[in-house]
Amino acid sequence: MHIPDGYLSPQTCGAFGAAMVPVWAGAARRVRRVVRSRFVPLIAVGAAYCFLVMMFNVPIPDGTTAHAVGAVLVAVLLGPWAAVIAVSIALGIQALFFGDGGVLAFGVNCFNMAFVMPLVGYAVYRVSAGRVALTAPRRAVAAGIGGYVGLNAAALCAAIEFGVQPSLFHRADGTPLYAPFHLAQTIPAMALAHLTVAGAVELALTAGVIAYLQRANLPLLRINHRGIPDTDDGSAPTRTARRARGIAIGIAVMVVLTPLGLLAPGRAFGEAPRGGFWRHALLDGYGFGGGRNHVVGYVVSAAVGVVLIGAVVLATVALVRAGERRRVRAGEGARA
Amino acid sequence: MTAASAPDWLLREEVGLCPCGCVGRRSRRGFVEKTLTGGADVVRQALFSEDISSRRGLLQSIEPRVKLLTMLALLIAAAFVRHVPVLLALYGATLVLAVCSSLRLSFFVRRVWLFVPLFTGLVVAPAALNLVTPGPIVVPLGTWFGHPVGLTRPGLEAAAVIVSRVALSISLVVLLTLTTPWNRLLAALRAVFVPRVFVQVLGMTYRYLFHLVTGVGEMYTARTARTVRRERGVVPGRAFVAATAGALFGKAHALSEEVHLAMVARGYTGSTRVLRPLRPRVVDAAWAAACLAVIITAVGVDHVFG
Repeated sequence: MHIPDGYLSPQTCGAFGAAMVPVWAGAARRVRRVVRSRFVPLIAVGAAYCFLVMMFNVPIPDGTTAHAVGAVLVAVLLGPWAAVIAVSIALGIQALFFGDGGVLAFGVNCFNMAFVMPLVGYAVYRVSAGRVALTAPRRAVAAGIGGYVGLNAAALCAAIEFGVQPSLFHRADGTPLYAPFHLAQTIPAMALAHLTVAGAVELALTAGVIAYLQRANLPLLRINHRGIPDTDDGSAPTRTARRARGIAIGIAVMVVLTPLGLLAPGRAFGEAPRGGFWRHALLDGYGFGGGRNHVVGYVVSAAVGVVLIGAVVLATVALVRAGERRRVRAGEGARA
Repeated sequence: MTAASAPDWLLREEVGLCPCGCVGRRSRRGFVEKTLTGGADVVRQALFSEDISSRRGLLQSIEPRVKLLTMLALLIAAAFVRHVPVLLALYGATLVLAVCSSLRLSFFVRRVWLFVPLFTGLVVAPAALNLVTPGPIVVPLGTWFGHPVGLTRPGLEAAAVIVSRVALSISLVVLLTLTTPWNRLLAALRAVFVPRVFVQVLGMTYRYLFHLVTGVGEMYTARTARTVRRERGVVPGRAFVAATAGALFGKAHALSEEVHLAMVARGYTGSTRVLRPLRPRVVDAAWAAACLAVIITAVGVDHVFG
């Protein structure tokens, strides 16, 4: 994803470079406010770490290898704004000293890999991880998903930057002057590579490193997770509560999706035609308003059905439990 | 820094029954070897750049700030040029500059062309097809569902412009970095309004990069020493990479704390001072004037071509 010089027009490079200046300034101010005089060594060593993460080859099926960017990993470990600067510095060293990525295209590369990727990935991580404990497996999975989404967001940006070139910069006869492929070609090409192999590698590395630190070096995770408990305490939801919440969310999604049934033509197989002996149903035909508001009718019917069935099940369980308690009490009375 | 270079036997590719690969199977290098080679390459490349930048030559004698600004101007000019002959003429000029700066021509050409321009050629090759860039077909390749398929004139021109521009841009950057010691190059970044604190961070990153490369090399070498048979599947390898990256973060963070304490102990307050200000000379002015003339000529000729 390191765009070399020559692929993009100087106007594109200039615009992205100018857009990154306030981002760098804002990021530096935010990080400095927190770490003060530790700013220089922390960011310097963080950037060196970033550079090396891009050097780690990760084995993939088929016997070959690929490497990750690691921007979301650094965002999870040091914070998103520290990641913006650390990844930018790493990209600068790659471009200046090792010829990896262009010097003119530095602003564009930073926008994709040092701004979009860590911020999008970190946002996904925060939403996915919530307030679960530092040692929760969900945190490692959330970091992996953040890495995957962040990388693909960066790849999408790169694809758009490539894809607009032939439309914006061409000769009078239509000959493209810079990257020659259109959006219809660049987006699928980048998506194919990053949704499959590169994304999987990013996911594996990000999740793997967080899982390793959860096991081996928890203090490092605490740097950017102040106020998050190490393990689940009483305030955290129990396993049963989490499972119940998951089931409730699943049922709610199914309720919302019930109007999809309206898309199917004809009637349900084996279902008797309407018009039986009972004609006073509240939601006759899963609707109301004389056949209007089909979608709302389906959703309301599903919700009412779920609540009614739930109430019947709960009442049955309560009755069975009450019967069991009575039997236990009767048994204890007989023994006494 | 010597500890960072991996032993030769570790970096050598595994060879099959015959060194030319005509019989037997040449086994593919795994992730351990590739990472070790990558780390060793980083160190080797940096040491080699330092070596070249200390030689006597034309570009080595130019003041780094002037060199950085003129190379940036040439890069921008190259980005605006639209015709292959102009780009090739500029590329020829970079070859002359390389020779005048004590660089071996074969090394310079290989270093520039080995990866990115060749890779660019492969990437933009499909753009020469009439399916992507319409136009008169000059190299017919057959038919596809009854439609003629071939390379078009505008497609080939576009591909040639991009490949030559990429090669020229990389040549300019390679010339700059190979002929300037890294600490002088960092100091020169101040001339393009890079804030002092970022220059300081860049310098420190570059220095500690090699320290951490040593750590990675040692971890991977230890892993290779412990491995007695070929691994099956990718899961153990991935677990090792994740554990190494996690352990490396621990080392990096501890290092940053130590460096901070050392800086504070030496009186660091958060501001940076440059010891030796760089002064431009007559030769630098002549170089800048020559670059300006080349840029005006190149852009003018390109404009004449249309």
